[in-house]
Amino acid sequence: VIESSGQTRQQAAVRNGVRIMAISKTEIEKLAKLAKLSFSDEELERFTAEFDEIIAFADTINQSIEGGTEQIRNVGARVVSFDDLRPDVVVPSLPNEKILSNVEGYNGFFSVERSKK
Amino acid sequence: MRTGISELAIRLRNREISAVELTKAYIGAIEKQNPALNAYVHLTFDTALKAAEQADEMLKEGDAPLLCGIPMALKDNICTDGLETTCCSKILKGFKPYYDATVWEKLKKQGAVLLGKTNMDEFAMGSTSETSCYGAPLNPRNTNYVTGGSSGGSAAVVCANLAVYSLGSDTGGSIRQPASFCGVVGLKPTYGAVSRYGLIAYGSSLDQIGPLANSVKDAAIVFDAVKGVDKRDQTSVDYDYGSSLAECLDRDIKGMRIGVAKEFFDGINPEIKSKIEEAIKLFERNGAVIENISLPALKLALPVYYIIACAEASSNLGRYDGIRYGYRTSSYTSIEDMIVKTRSEGFGDEVKRRIMLGTYVLSSGYYDAYYKKACLIREEINREFDAVFEKCDVLVAPTAPNTAFPLNYKGASPVEMYLSDICTVPVNIAGVPAISVPCGEDAGGLPIGMQIIGRRFGEATVLQAAYFYEQCAGKVIGAYEGGAGI
Repeated sequence: VIESSGQTRQQAAVRNGVRIMAISKTEIEKLAKLAKLSFSDEELERFTAEFDEIIAFADTINQSIEGGTEQIRNVGARVVSFDDLRPDVVVPSLPNEKILSNVEGYNGFFSVERSKK
Repeated sequence: MRTGISELAIRLRNREISAVELTKAYIGAIEKQNPALNAYVHLTFDTALKAAEQADEMLKEGDAPLLCGIPMALKDNICTDGLETTCCSKILKGFKPYYDATVWEKLKKQGAVLLGKTNMDEFAMGSTSETSCYGAPLNPRNTNYVTGGSSGGSAAVVCANLAVYSLGSDTGGSIRQPASFCGVVGLKPTYGAVSRYGLIAYGSSLDQIGPLANSVKDAAIVFDAVKGVDKRDQTSVDYDYGSSLAECLDRDIKGMRIGVAKEFFDGINPEIKSKIEEAIKLFERNGAVIENISLPALKLALPVYYIIACAEASSNLGRYDGIRYGYRTSSYTSIEDMIVKTRSEGFGDEVKRRIMLGTYVLSSGYYDAYYKKACLIREEINREFDAVFEKCDVLVAPTAPNTAFPLNYKGASPVEMYLSDICTVPVNIAGVPAISVPCGEDAGGLPIGMQIIGRRFGEATVLQAAYFYEQCAGKVIGAYEGGAGI
């Protein structure tokens, strides 16, 4: 399934030699929401076209390397034993006022404009 | 040839020049040339002069480190306590870090004099430094051309002699490619060799800080000064390099096994290809053994790199919400709206593209097909590199498939620009060290870079091969006349 999903997308992208958008504007809008970004209509138009080319590029990992991608096996996540972890010791940290020195108008609270009436 | 760090150190110790005088010479040159070159984006002259005074004291006391009193520059993504650090992004404008990056803490202790922070692609995302919110730096060799990126400003200040050396960061070639475009030396160390603490994160499993300098020896001196394990960076490694690498550069390369992988030469500009081939012949004539090898997985390196780097970036850049630091939008209707507007107004197009790609490859339904698979291919690329380094000491390749692009080049789509990173990204994927050294010029007089790649923690061999080439080939590019004139 892993190997084929990208290929399916690639195959879907070119039908009868005509390049078909692999990604829709709706999908881009959904992604933008996840990424906490917004785009104007004009930006969305341009971005969708660019993004389509970028996805097609990312899809090239589904081209097989010599002998096919099935050669690539999951090497498994590295397992870290509890003995390898450092002891949980409290050490001095930076002072709060220094860490918060970039917050505009900080007085013990983060202040933002009122948004609920 | 321009004065190197060792010679400057002798002159400082012989009182031929003081650190303050040296710093003033650089300040004068920056004031004159930076308005046109746009290589520095934040100048720190006041602190530089104070640091120079302290350096003079250290020098007077004797036993000062080699870099004491030497004026230098940092890329704008390396945190400096109390000094503006913005990653050349609107979203971080005005941000003053409250701690020093480990590399800067180390250099400061050694008496380094920071002249300023250098221009770069926004959040280090780009190959030309043109995505900077301050506008692009210009290539001092020919101001109609880009410096390369993302450490474009760091390469330009060294090239134009507006700093003796600089630090940059390299996620997919961001030290080596601008070094190549500007005709200077740039070293990307092994992943884990230099602490990333205080480097504003882009792709955390790929990012590495390294020096840009006017010679291999200077790069080795700076690497010696910044390397080492750091408890604040869990990925840094306690590796014993033995003695100072700068003192072991002079090595006969007779018998050194140099690998040449054909995949690095596919689609390379013929002029660049022939210069690198000449350099390989030079190595061979001097007793190196040339091994023709193959790295088949290399053709997947680019998409693998962009998937992994963007996935990590989309997560790393999640912290920019306008609440704790940096830019905040002026009008909004809810907290959610504030965050979305802040990010949409604060980030530039390239950063947005990469956040979006990262979000896509990590999103439900695509994670296995893209991110997980890219991580698996990364392991395969690592295995191929490991196998190659069983029979080779170093690999030689071009640094970039082309010389510097003209400014405002509109002929390439985002993906076509990504393709220009083909020679450099495999090195970051495998976490191995590589250096770019000047290797002549193209017909238009633009510098060409040769890349020498080593095995993990094999910086000594990489530097020795590079030093040998530099000594043999002579100064392949005429020293830039100008700058501080020192």
